[in-house]
Formats: sequence, structure tokens, C-alpha cells
Amino acid sequence: MNRKVPLAVCFIFGVVMFIQYFSQHPTARFVYKSILDYWQIIFAFTLILGIISFVNNNISQIKRGNNTFYRIVAISGFLIMPVVALGWGIKTGSPFMWMFENVQAPMQSTVFALLAFFVASASYRGFRARSIPATILLLSALIILLSRSNIGGIFSDYLPNIADWIRNYPSMSARRAILIGIGLGSLTTSLRVIIGIERTWLGKD
Amino acid sequence: MKHLKSRHWIFLGLFLVIGITMILNVKLNVRVSPYTQKMFDYIDSLPPGSILLISFDHEASSLPEIRPLALAVLRHAFKKDLRLIGVSLLSEGTVIGYRLMQKTAKEYHKVYGKDYVYLGFRPQYVAAILSMGESLKETYPQDYLGNKYDQLNLLKSVKNYNNIDAVISIADGSLTTHWIEYGHGRYGVKILGAVTAAMVTTYDPYLASGQMYAMTGGLRGAAEYEELLKISGGGARGMLAQSSAHLYVIFLIIVGNLSYFITKRKGRK
Amino acid sequence: MDIGTLIAGVLTLAILSFLYRDNPFYKFAESLLIGVSIGYILVITFNNTLMALLFEPLFKESDLWLIIPLLLGLLMWGRFHKKTAFLSRISIAVMIGSGAGVAIPAMLKERTLKQMSNTVVSLVNASGMPDFTGIIVILGVISYFYFSREQKGALGKIAKVGTYFLMIFFGTTFGYTVMSRMSTFIGRMEFLLSDFLKLIH
Repeated sequence: MNRKVPLAVCFIFGVVMFIQYFSQHPTARFVYKSILDYWQIIFAFTLILGIISFVNNNISQIKRGNNTFYRIVAISGFLIMPVVALGWGIKTGSPFMWMFENVQAPMQSTVFALLAFFVASASYRGFRARSIPATILLLSALIILLSRSNIGGIFSDYLPNIADWIRNYPSMSARRAILIGIGLGSLTTSLRVIIGIERTWLGKD
Repeated sequence: MKHLKSRHWIFLGLFLVIGITMILNVKLNVRVSPYTQKMFDYIDSLPPGSILLISFDHEASSLPEIRPLALAVLRHAFKKDLRLIGVSLLSEGTVIGYRLMQKTAKEYHKVYGKDYVYLGFRPQYVAAILSMGESLKETYPQDYLGNKYDQLNLLKSVKNYNNIDAVISIADGSLTTHWIEYGHGRYGVKILGAVTAAMVTTYDPYLASGQMYAMTGGLRGAAEYEELLKISGGGARGMLAQSSAHLYVIFLIIVGNLSYFITKRKGRK
Repeated sequence: MDIGTLIAGVLTLAILSFLYRDNPFYKFAESLLIGVSIGYILVITFNNTLMALLFEPLFKESDLWLIIPLLLGLLMWGRFHKKTAFLSRISIAVMIGSGAGVAIPAMLKERTLKQMSNTVVSLVNASGMPDFTGIIVILGVISYFYFSREQKGALGKIAKVGTYFLMIFFGTTFGYTVMSRMSTFIGRMEFLLSDFLKLIH
């Protein structure tokens, strides 16, 4: 029962959402639009589920005395945002916006910026011409990088043209092939999900 | 100094290369790519009053790269007196989109509700894109600020994608794919992309097949767009540092390979 | 310098300190970032989505249809307890089923057929340049991912061609990824050097 009902629900919603593609009837449009709304609302609840799990997890870790200080910092950071949003709203000039612009966004983009250093380090350590495929990979990366570094016209127009050609033809074709593969894979997985062959999403009992 | 490892020297080198080239503050002329030119030409060709839906499909993490690009596109649209509807399919893009639209609108003396509106975030991007195709009003009964849909003058004539000239997805991930496959595929709306450089090769097949109309990417794309707009911005300011960083990475790759081959040869002997 | 810029600058430096090694300043900033980001998602999801799509229409305009997604959403929270966790499967089933249903036509038409139709082109373009968007590359790359037979003989050869083209794609993507990561750091450096340290204008 715990598995059969969800499988039946999945089948019904899957079939309905597939069939509606072929119908412009007002009832079909109404059902389709309603399901799209439900989907967004359930997803919003899912986000909140994750948030509550984060709080629960941190509180239980604090109780165990595991990294207490940093967990208190995380919980405080979490609490401050809804408090300031409730107090002063989320418009421009509000403390919520101030927190986002001066605390969250700078830190988040800096964490991401760290990747620049790791990419540089990886270029030195791992980007080796060990074999023919590795050499091809390295050469195409070098051409792209050089073509986008035309300082003071050191590199002529030829290099950007070659780089554009690589991007538009061999690179694009390989990406297209991957895309077709993913498309076929997603198609069959979707069918398997709807008819109940693929059940991993149900988890374990 | 002994506790510094080789990776620390590589990091320091990058820090210095970018820091020094930024302090030099030299602006480079960039060659405008056909990709950016096509994007620019399309927006430039739209008659005043045309409506663009700008979707801020990115996180705060990519803001330094996305911001100059988004500002250039928004400035172009406002300069051409186009009307803009802002949405976001990622929660972090919500506030960023609102602030960027507000900032550029102020520069061009645009009025909220008449020249632009900001509708905000909707979760589950596939459902949101499809839902907007059916009814923008039912997807967004109110805007980001809590105003009712019907109270906003600009939205009175907008029912769904049929009333929108194009969607510009400002993205740092694969969300533009969903705009292409669901927005364009199902409802036929024209899709343009302003994406991070890391994502451009992902979208090349869609660009080649015409499913995506035009695309510009990365800080370089922003610099090219600024060149076309004849304005100074974050894209052009960063070009010397960007080019120098590329040369630094190329240098590292060459040194790494040289040391690899030298070690290999020594091993054979 | 305003207090916001000062705080943003100090937190930026705290994150960058990770480049030397993990340290308490970084850990503090990291924990704060996680907390603030999650608080932010809560506010935006509740304020901008649930209020507009669910609570206001349901409670102010009495749109009773919305009881269905409200119940489905609440079932999702069944996961908080082991005994009620199975209830969340129904909500997941709605999302998974709907997603699969709308994905079939999109994947078939937009991702597979349209891309395939664009591979049926001439192998040499008007300017005499080879055009590899044709069937050869597609066959090669797809053969590489075909694992039902050992890649020997003709299949192995065509898969090898596919590998080379895949490498060109990965190399190109690597080049663009380097551009992207450098741009992000350049953006942060611009903030540090201009707004925070006032070294450039």
C-alpha cells in the first residue's frame, strides 16, 4: 500500500501531463494549469522541508556539543533573515536587502571565486599531454584561451576565427551528440517512471 | 616561507597577475563576436514599447560575472524604450534581478508599473515556465512588492508569451535549456541567453539549430556588449585582467607539461 | 567607507583566507553564509511564492481548489517522522509523475528530434570548410557511449573518432570555464580594490 498508492499517483499524473500536450480543450487546459500550480506549491513546501531539516540537524549537533560555536553562527544567520524581513519587509533599503547585498552575496561570490585558484592549480598539475586524446583536449583549450586574450593585437584575427570554428563545428557537434544521448535517456527514464519500472524515487521501506 | 606549498605560489601568482593588471586600469578594445552582435542587433531592432521578459536564472555566486552582462543588456533595453518584465527561477536571482532592474531603470528615468515590473521568484522552473505560457497572471497573481497583477499598467495587455517579444534568460547554469525546451518548444517564444562563459558551449547546439535565437556569454560578452553600446562598464574594465589571467593559465599548463616530460625522460634514463 | 562595504570586505577576506588553509575566520564566514542563505530562501519562498500562490488566494479569496496542493505540501512534511515518512511519497509522486509527463514530448521533440534533424547537413560548407555537424561525429560520440557491445573493430574505430571530438568539446569547455572562474575572481578583486581599499576608481 505504501508503494502502490504513490506508483498509481505517479502514473495518473504522468499520463495526464503527457496527454494534455495533445489537447487544447478548456478542461484539459484547466487540469494542466492546476497541476502546474500544485507542482510549484509542493516544491515550495519541499524547500521549507529542507530548511527545517537544516535547523533540526544543527540544534541536535549543538546539543551534542559538536562544533557548537559555528553551528550557533549558522543558526543565528538563519534566524536574522526572516526576523528582518518580518520587521522591515524586503524592499530596497530594508535590512533584509542590506544583509543580502553586504553579507550573503559577497561571501557567496567569493566562495565561487576560489575556484579560479583551483582551476589555475589544476592547470599546472593535471593538464598533461599524456596521450592523443589528452593532447587534443589540451590544444583546443589552449586555442580557446589564447583567442580570448588578444592583448594589444598580439594575436591576429586568425586565432579568434579558428577558435570560433572549433566552437561552432567539432565542439558543437560533440555536445549535440551528448545532448541527443541525454534526450533519449531522459525519454526512456520518463517512460519507465510513469509505468512504474523505475522506482528508485520511492526510496526504501 | 618553508610552510608555503607549490599551490600557494600558484595562488599568489594569480592574485598578483589579476591585482596588478586591475590597478593598471587599462581598457582594452575588444573584437565584437558575431554571437554578441546578433543579440545586440535583435534588441536594437525592436520598436519602442516592445515587451521583453528578463529571467534572472542565476545564483549570487556568479554575480561578479553576470552583473556586467545583465547591466549591459538591461541598459540597452531601457535605452531603446523597451518595456521589461522581470522574473526569477532561482531564489537567489530574485533580489539581484530586482536591484539590477531598479538601478538601470533609475538611470533611464523609467517608471515602475509602466515601463518595467518585477514579478519575482517561482520555484520548480519547468512548472513555472509552462505555467507562464498558459497565464502570466495566474502564475504571478502579484508582483515582488505585493502589488496585484491588474494594478500594474504594463501587465494589462500581457496574458502569456504571445504578448511578449522575447525572453532573455540571464543564467549561470542550465536553466536556459528549460526556457528553450519548454518555453520555445511548447509556446514558440523567442529565447535569448546572457550566460556565464562556462555555459556557452552547452548552448551551442541550440544556437546552431535555431531553437535559441542569440546568446552572449561571460565577462568578455559584457565587454563586447559595452563596446556596441559605447559605454564603459565592468566588462571592459576587467578585460586586461581577464586576458592576463588566461596567459597565466597557459603559462602554468606549459610549465606543468615541460616538467612532466623532463621527469618522464629522466625516468627512462 | 560605509559599514556595509566594511563588513562585505572583511567577510570577503575571511573567505579568501581559505586559500592559505582552513582556519577559524573562514569557518565563521562559511557558517554565517550557510545560515544567511537558508534564511534568505525561507523568506523568498514564503513571502514571494507561498503567500502569493497559496495562502492569499486560499484564505482571502476562498479558492478552495488550493486545499489540494496545501495537503500535498503538508504530506511532504511527513518525512519529519519515520512512521509518517511514507506519506511524502504521494507528494513526490505528483512532482515526479508531472515532470515525467511533460518531459516526454520535450525530450523527444526539442532535445532529440530537432537536434538530430540538424545533423543531416552537407559535410563541406559553401566556403569549402569541413562541417562536422554531420552524422559522422554524432555516430562516433554515440558509439562511444554504447556499452552493450565491446568496442572492437568498426565500432571501436568509430568510437575512437567520437572520443577525439569529445576531447575537443571538453577542451573548449575547459577554456570557457577558465574564463568564467577568472571573471568571478576579477569581480571580487574589483570590489576589494575599488570599494574596499579605494586603490582604483
